Amino acid sequence: MASSPSLASPESGGPSRLAGGIGGMLAVAAVLVVAGFSLPVVISSMLVLTLLTQATLQALLAISVGFLFRQNGLTSFGQAGWFGLAAYTVAVNGRFGWVAPETAVVAALVVPTVLAALLGTVIVRLPHLAFSMLTLAVAQAVHEVFLKWRTLANGDDGIEVRLPKRLFGLDIALFQQPQTMVVIVWIALVLVVVALLFFARSHTGLLTRAIRDNEERARYIGYETLLPRVVVYAVSALVAAIAGVLFSLYNGFVTPGLLHWSLSGEALIMAFIGGPRVIWGPVLGAGLFFLLKDFAGDHTEHWPAIIGGILMIVTILLPEGLAGLAQRVGRRLWSRRAA
Amino acid sequence: MSETILTAHNMTRRYGGFTAVNDVSIEVTRGEIRGLIGPNGAGKSTLMDLICGRGSGYSAGSVTLMGHRLDGLPARQRRRLGLGRSFQKTNIFPDLTVAEQIRLAARAMKTGDAEEIMSELNLADLAEARAGDISYGAQRRLDLALALIGRPPVVLLDEPAAGLSIGESLALSRLLEDLTRRWNVTVLIVEHDMEVIFSICDRITVLQAGRILADGDADAIRSNEEVVRAYLGSAVS
Repeated sequence: MASSPSLASPESGGPSRLAGGIGGMLAVAAVLVVAGFSLPVVISSMLVLTLLTQATLQALLAISVGFLFRQNGLTSFGQAGWFGLAAYTVAVNGRFGWVAPETAVVAALVVPTVLAALLGTVIVRLPHLAFSMLTLAVAQAVHEVFLKWRTLANGDDGIEVRLPKRLFGLDIALFQQPQTMVVIVWIALVLVVVALLFFARSHTGLLTRAIRDNEERARYIGYETLLPRVVVYAVSALVAAIAGVLFSLYNGFVTPGLLHWSLSGEALIMAFIGGPRVIWGPVLGAGLFFLLKDFAGDHTEHWPAIIGGILMIVTILLPEGLAGLAQRVGRRLWSRRAA
Repeated sequence: MSETILTAHNMTRRYGGFTAVNDVSIEVTRGEIRGLIGPNGAGKSTLMDLICGRGSGYSAGSVTLMGHRLDGLPARQRRRLGLGRSFQKTNIFPDLTVAEQIRLAARAMKTGDAEEIMSELNLADLAEARAGDISYGAQRRLDLALALIGRPPVVLLDEPAAGLSIGESLALSRLLEDLTRRWNVTVLIVEHDMEVIFSICDRITVLQAGRILADGDADAIRSNEEVVRAYLGSAVS
């Protein structure tokens, strides 16, 4: 990103604002969960439901990128590494049957999180660009492993995700049909956003924003500054892994493309178009990305150029992203109404 | 007899062939406000950095705070042992509100006096304001609050009045003197504003070219011909 958005957070506020905000936040989340159940009722087109499911999965990945930027001020070029690693963990276990599928799903969430924490102890202390380059290098290394190790992952032919008839007591069809999976991924998205909002308002969330702005000062008020940033990186990997697991269950097939830098790049673009300053901002970016990909993709194969143009416009004219614009418009309307 | 609270012995810092601080030793007694003055490049801020373990370059010397050796300890441990620090350049968290960062600092120090310090430093009305949006003078007070939270036994202040108007800097110095005397906080202060230095310091150490040029109370420093020639000029004559 040549021009990063300002790191000033519109979600900061005093205790009264926070206390008032939590009730409102949970109410909005409850409404959104209920709305999720109505999606397959309201939308009859299977194509739209499929696109919405894919867009929601991508939104989760984009949120993981945005959250890392918001809390640590760092840009990951390799978030697809955690997404793909989680998806492959489920798929490879299905191929070899090492452990029960439920255990594999849990491992698919734990392994990327733990690896990110270990890697984070080394790379989050590095300057921004070095961090970005190393995330890219690590993700590409993982990509190469799954691409070249045919006996494990069948190379670029990919592997089918073999699953039992029931997973965690649920019919596996629930995860593989768009009209039910759209509800599952939607609820997962809402829960992840709510959890990250709570994290952002917690002591660790506040501390990481302080460290992001002024690490030296944080040390001189008495804080250890590495571990909180590692926690943020691990949480961002966990969110990417949740998306990866859901993807593997839904898609039923994984390829090394899931680990490729181009997927990390797409998530990054979604996050910055949506606005990484706001935790839910990348969701807007993912929505716009999929809309454009669908509509413009019908008319021209050069649709990525349109995305590129939008990214340039947003970066220059709306450095706070679509979410920042939405918040500004909302505040203006609210103050007009109050006046 | 006054008790020595902070001792810095044989402090040296070199950057390549340049020696910024050259074998300087100082002792500060409990409750004292000690001024550190000298021309630009004399080594004042570097000496502060050496005491609080900041910066790079070849370093030597030993620092003892209330019997604890501080050399080699990371900044957070020095702070927890009782060494507060403010910086030459305003050093706050611009994206956090005033209250958020004061409470963050209070939590690190395991102290409940966040509200009190905001009140004492006239920050209570700005508690919910984003620190990056408040006035420069308020930011300097916030910087001071972050250094003083938990009432550390010793605080190092690097030009706390820099960039303030004459009226603001005098008000800040009065506030600083009042608070540190009441809270029995020992202060080592670097400041170019001689009004501030001569009005609040019990003792003043003058540095020049990385060495101590003179040391004494305000009257002794004012009348020291070497100090007047090297630094004060006609400003205080």
